[in-house]
Amino acid sequence: MAGTSALAAKTEPAERVPASGRVSDPRRASWPVLLVFLAPALVVYLGLTAYPAVRTIYDSLFTIEGAERSYVGLANYRDLLGDETFWIAVRNTFVWAFVAPILDVATGLLLALALYAGVPFARFLRVAWFTPVLLSYVVVAILWMWIYNYDWGVVNEGLRAAGLGTLARSWLGDPNTALAALIVTHAWKWAGFNMVVCLAAIHALPSEVLEAAELDNCGWAAKLRHVIVPMLRPTLLNLYVLAFIGKMKVFDLVWIMTGGGPLWATETVSTYVYKRAFNWNTFDLGYPSAIATVWFGVVCAAVIVLNRIFKTRDRLEY
Amino acid sequence: MSVDATLPPAAGRGGFLASRTALAVVIAAYTAYTLGPFLWLATMSVRTTGEISADHYAWPRPFHWEQFRIAWVDSDFATYFWNSTVVVVAAVAVVTLVGAAAAHALARYRFRGNRILYGILFSSIIFPPQITLISLYQILVDYGLYNSLLGLTLVYVSLQLPLTVYLLEGFFARIPQDLFDAAKMDGYGDIEIFRRIVLPIGMPAIATTLILNFIQLWNEFLFAVVLITDPDKRTLPIGIRAFMGDHFQDIGMIAAGVMISVVPVIVAYVFFSEKLIRGMTAGAVK
Amino acid sequence: MRRAGTGIAALFGRSLIAAGAAAAAEPVQITMWSNWPDEPAKKEWVAARVRDFEAANRQCAVKLSFIPKADIYTQAKSAVRTGQAPDVFYLEPDQPEFLAGGFLEPLDGHVDLAKLEDWAKPAWTSKGKVYGLPVEAYTVELYYNKDLVKKVGVEVPPSFQLTQSGFADLVRKGAAAGITPVSQGVGDRPFPGGLLLFESLLRKLGTEDYGKLLNGTLSFKDPRVLEVMTWFKGLVEAGAYPKSFATLKLGESHYYFYQKPGALTFPDPSWFTGRAFASPESGGMPADFPLGIMQFPAMDQGQCPSCKTLAVAGSFVMYARGKNKACAGALLDSMATIGNGDKWVEQVSLQTGLKSDPAKINSSHAAYFAELNARNKGATYFFGTPLMYYRSKCAETYTQVMNNAFPAGLIGVNEAADKMDSACRKGS
Repeated sequence: MAGTSALAAKTEPAERVPASGRVSDPRRASWPVLLVFLAPALVVYLGLTAYPAVRTIYDSLFTIEGAERSYVGLANYRDLLGDETFWIAVRNTFVWAFVAPILDVATGLLLALALYAGVPFARFLRVAWFTPVLLSYVVVAILWMWIYNYDWGVVNEGLRAAGLGTLARSWLGDPNTALAALIVTHAWKWAGFNMVVCLAAIHALPSEVLEAAELDNCGWAAKLRHVIVPMLRPTLLNLYVLAFIGKMKVFDLVWIMTGGGPLWATETVSTYVYKRAFNWNTFDLGYPSAIATVWFGVVCAAVIVLNRIFKTRDRLEY
Repeated sequence: MSVDATLPPAAGRGGFLASRTALAVVIAAYTAYTLGPFLWLATMSVRTTGEISADHYAWPRPFHWEQFRIAWVDSDFATYFWNSTVVVVAAVAVVTLVGAAAAHALARYRFRGNRILYGILFSSIIFPPQITLISLYQILVDYGLYNSLLGLTLVYVSLQLPLTVYLLEGFFARIPQDLFDAAKMDGYGDIEIFRRIVLPIGMPAIATTLILNFIQLWNEFLFAVVLITDPDKRTLPIGIRAFMGDHFQDIGMIAAGVMISVVPVIVAYVFFSEKLIRGMTAGAVK
Repeated sequence: MRRAGTGIAALFGRSLIAAGAAAAAEPVQITMWSNWPDEPAKKEWVAARVRDFEAANRQCAVKLSFIPKADIYTQAKSAVRTGQAPDVFYLEPDQPEFLAGGFLEPLDGHVDLAKLEDWAKPAWTSKGKVYGLPVEAYTVELYYNKDLVKKVGVEVPPSFQLTQSGFADLVRKGAAAGITPVSQGVGDRPFPGGLLLFESLLRKLGTEDYGKLLNGTLSFKDPRVLEVMTWFKGLVEAGAYPKSFATLKLGESHYYFYQKPGALTFPDPSWFTGRAFASPESGGMPADFPLGIMQFPAMDQGQCPSCKTLAVAGSFVMYARGKNKACAGALLDSMATIGNGDKWVEQVSLQTGLKSDPAKINSSHAAYFAELNARNKGATYFFGTPLMYYRSKCAETYTQVMNNAFPAGLIGVNEAADKMDSACRKGS
């Protein structure tokens, strides 16, 4: 539908005066035109995003107690270097952000392929697999706290029923398993989103290529490896980067399920920032602002590096 | 079999058939994994908290449908629902339009500072909202938008703008330039190109951002708590939150509240995802 | 049609305003945020005080909202900085930053401080001024199931206080019988896991040294502290706490104690009643539950077996930048009467920092109250819980270590003591 209307639009206006000879560079536009497109976004951005962000960076140079603020220069940043909890939070967040997106994207791709391959009830499954995305973090957190419950949670009940009762444990209460438990929950919520995007991308692939692969009598796995994944590469990488950023900021789920515990085993940078800003019995915004600023730099750098790596690989392949 | 008619022939019939059973088992297991918790929650929405505490897995008996009435009427979910709808629909509409326009300009036109602008817009995804919250609060107070649905809507627009621009820019950049050249030849103005080519062709990507933005904002909690204090301006997540007391979690009512808030989202998703898939299979983008 | 409707509405509105103006000048509107949306007894008490106040003071109108505690704090932290906080709001003494930041108005000029219990004032006193109206007060108690304790073969002595080894015996017998000895969970609270240990430390050290411990001037490496911690570690290893301790929420630990699966004891502040006296259908205590209250165990060579923690919780404070302090102050003053104190105790079944007259209290839970009073007779009170003393990194360490990891058996005595000392010890 979308495509046909675009095509129709293209052929219709014969009576229009063609751009009189001056075939200007179509990739250039006058400033007023650009302004029309960009100004609304920039206004919103400057007013409600840039200002608070700049303010945060500025605040990070102060210690603020109540209504009083005193300039401390880079002292907050120096303190940060020696802050054990911060480094634990960084480690946890990195583990989460680099490992979990692979899980998310791979699951999403496999689900999308299953739907594309035409499993029965595809329409129903598409909705069923997407439901976790629709639930809010609060609800997901409550549900999964029950699922991991020691006494009557599904996981432990299942293990006991399978005669593996010795493996039953307090999944969120054990520092060795708490982070993994949270990662699984987060992946549960987001796999469906990756599925939808992958499915959209597969459908957008030129069908000739897939048919050609069909004719070549490629195996399913070979087709996946040599045709589908390479062609979906931009989408998959985009999803990876998105998931990566999401995980670098992960907050709600952790805050509700473990509050960063036990023994800081699930502390993430965002929960630590929030704790320092709202839960440390202080109004000092300086230190949490410093954490946020540092982290902003780290994530930006990581995204740039990821984009570089992905781009060079792309170039090598084609 | 309810396979989409528009799908290409099911791929690889040979070896695929053999492992069909295994695949069916895996798919069934995964479906139980995603849908199970949701259905479990659905059963809890018609059970009282006392019953749930006594046995978390029992089938509802009797069905306490009155929990929905209690939520909708006595606990003001009707108001919350309306507020959520107004705020989220407005914010999603605005952010989609504004974001698409910016994404189009960034993806299509060469101008000085293009990439820098893109980088700046995109990088604001990264700032933790927990920390900008306080400055944002100050801004809203200064402009008299604190404790108003309009203020919350604007904040939501700003919250989702970077992601929207990021997703759409990536997609718009892949629309073949030929289309634009042809349109220019035909004398289309810049605005018309955007309206009659970019928006229709970009529909799959726009639908994706619509879904994502809608879900995230519909469930948004932190800003809704801090920026709204009037009971009659609260949104659904805050309404559900009211059942999570300090001493007492009313699980049955929480579940009922969640059902009220999530069912329309599912319906909207079913509707949009059909559009989404159909839009894509129409072969807009090659 | 439509215009006629609005016209009538406007007329109606105007006549209403005129009527109001005739009676009194336009009332001054103040806002008030209260906790307890989920606790009907407390909610009703607050709402009734506001109604009474409005009836008696036509010049003031109160816009009262009930908001969950966590949300009040989150909102207030943003609101106080920008002059947007309500005139009166709910606060507990474990949020000292509001006072330290200069956001609270001293009540001295507004409220008759003689109507407050003297022991409750220190919770809100700073530089000689009182900053909060201590409505809700509590003691830390050890609730137990009389039948189950008897069933595992332990006799509670007439003093209602077991010895150090007696309590360890109770834990062992409960564990052997497959009954969880102590119901407790830290899934949603930063303090319950510390209750048993810190109450024991108080009885071992006495008020003075315990105060030093909380002030950070006494080390957790003190031999007496280590001794109690070692004893406590023994309880943990004997299986004192539920296996689901780390994720069990406060509400669930109630249910765990008096419904399913049932536990021998339940250390809880005396606001236990807020949840337990709800109807059983909404998760309250069954009417026939054999509830008892015993003292926390006496420590060997303990300085103060009769010691007990007393603390102020829910209070109301005035915003220093509020625009209508006259009305706000008058509202708080109207709440602080002996009659209102009595009503609180009667309706909420909980102590209060407002003065009250025990002779006039008619509780529907008289037996419970008699027992609570009996357990508090002759008690030496220590004022305040650890989290009212601890701040920032120290509070966080308490939450992660003493509230969670140590009672969960994740770390040993020395490691826990080290972590506390490095976060809380002054001048080390």
